[in-house]
Amino acid sequence: MRLFLRQLGALVRLSFLDLYRRKDLVTVGALALALLVPLAALRPFGVAGADRYVGEVAMGLIWLFSLVIAIALGARQFPPEFESRTIYPLLARPVGRSTVLLGKYLGAFLAAVSATALFYVLFAVYRGSTGSGWFPSVLWQGFVLHVCALAVAVALSMTLSLAVTMSANLAFSAIAVFGMFIWGGRLPELAVNSPLPAKIALDVVYAIAPHFEFFDLRQRIVHSWDCVGVGVMLVVVAYAVLCSAALLSIAALLFRKRKV
Amino acid sequence: MSKIIELKDVVKSFGGTRAVDGLSLSLEEGGVLGFLGTNGAGKTTTIKMILGLLSPDEGTVSVLGGNPADPSVRAGLGYLPEAAYYYPLLDAPEVLAFYGRMSGMDESTIAERTEDLLEDVGLAHDAWNRPLKTYSKGMLQRVGIAQALVHNPKLLVLDEPFTGLDPLARRRFRQLIMRYRDAGGSVIFSSHDLSEAELICDSVAILRRGRIVFSGARNDLAGDASVNLERLFLSKLAESGDEEAKEALK
Repeated sequence: MRLFLRQLGALVRLSFLDLYRRKDLVTVGALALALLVPLAALRPFGVAGADRYVGEVAMGLIWLFSLVIAIALGARQFPPEFESRTIYPLLARPVGRSTVLLGKYLGAFLAAVSATALFYVLFAVYRGSTGSGWFPSVLWQGFVLHVCALAVAVALSMTLSLAVTMSANLAFSAIAVFGMFIWGGRLPELAVNSPLPAKIALDVVYAIAPHFEFFDLRQRIVHSWDCVGVGVMLVVVAYAVLCSAALLSIAALLFRKRKV
Repeated sequence: MSKIIELKDVVKSFGGTRAVDGLSLSLEEGGVLGFLGTNGAGKTTTIKMILGLLSPDEGTVSVLGGNPADPSVRAGLGYLPEAAYYYPLLDAPEVLAFYGRMSGMDESTIAERTEDLLEDVGLAHDAWNRPLKTYSKGMLQRVGIAQALVHNPKLLVLDEPFTGLDPLARRRFRQLIMRYRDAGGSVIFSSHDLSEAELICDSVAILRRGRIVFSGARNDLAGDASVNLERLFLSKLAESGDEEAKEALK
């Protein structure tokens, strides 16, 4: 157990160093600030509710950047190891492939969560300074469900990285994640009004694609509505855990079969 | 002396091609085995089976008394791959610490070993805290050698270990291998560099098309002054039907 935990810790640390030493996060953070600071300073039309508009834009950007970070982190856990041949000295260590997979997944996931937490802190500071409350319960709840979405996004892109090229992975992952985030809830409605072949395709997509729209509490946060019920929250968290586990099981199979 | 590596009648195919064809090989504890062959002879496939990265289709592979596919057996293995590019954003001590942790070492041992090893492999002090993306090929190779040794393995598996090293570095690395052997370690290395193999190995196995065409101790050749390793290599390949080797011997 001690060796297992030490190995997991080493792999997680590697992912953190990879994220924070690349310029990607700094670039994303700078971009976010460049967009949000002028918006926050603006009071469009002198209307009090305009800060909700800024809040909506901010939450939209937080989701966009965090999912991009999560997809990118998941996508680059394995391909660079194979390309640079570091997979050989890694697997020549007394470590099983499933430990390597789990360690890399946790590393990418926790690194994505840390970046997202930073964005949420900045958002909370902004909201607090406009008198909407510093860290309301609904913001915490939104953060927890956001973390669940990141868990699924990282698992998806990591799994795809073991099956397709990097560019194909980024494209599929982006389409799956953002497609379901924006249109997932509308798929049944679209299916009903579609001809049979399209209806079947839409129903299949609705059944098997991860539902990122389940994790989205942006409207509640921005408009300071009540939290969702505990039961609903637990069901959504359980859904994220099951989804991630299913994807990682596929990843484990692909990694086991992968010739090194 | 116990056998550190034992391969018996090992066969490995990829699609319709037999990369390793009934190979039998062994290495005694404390020995240095030079594993030689032309490109595509099956050396890397054999090495991957020794490391547990591939399983044989037929035959048995025993390393350190166990199956190398078992992670606990690999605790005693150190591996230097050919031309690896280690994590570019980490510096040398961080890379060694990572591999040390993956081998189950504790932090204080890692810290001690890191300094000693980086000195032993001759990595300049001013390079220690620079990211590996700034390193030359030779510097990366030194880091590679260090990571293979960081956890004090019983068996070193080296794939083209002299690639990218200048003559002084080669000498230093040869001495490192000899000290490692004298301290009880065993080494198998695959190389195209017969001059280096001649200086350090005490037994040799020559591979062609997945089969061993020669296997023996260097001492057996000691009496024949006309036999150097290159000549031996070419003559054994020629005997097994290699036309290019026959031409080279004319």
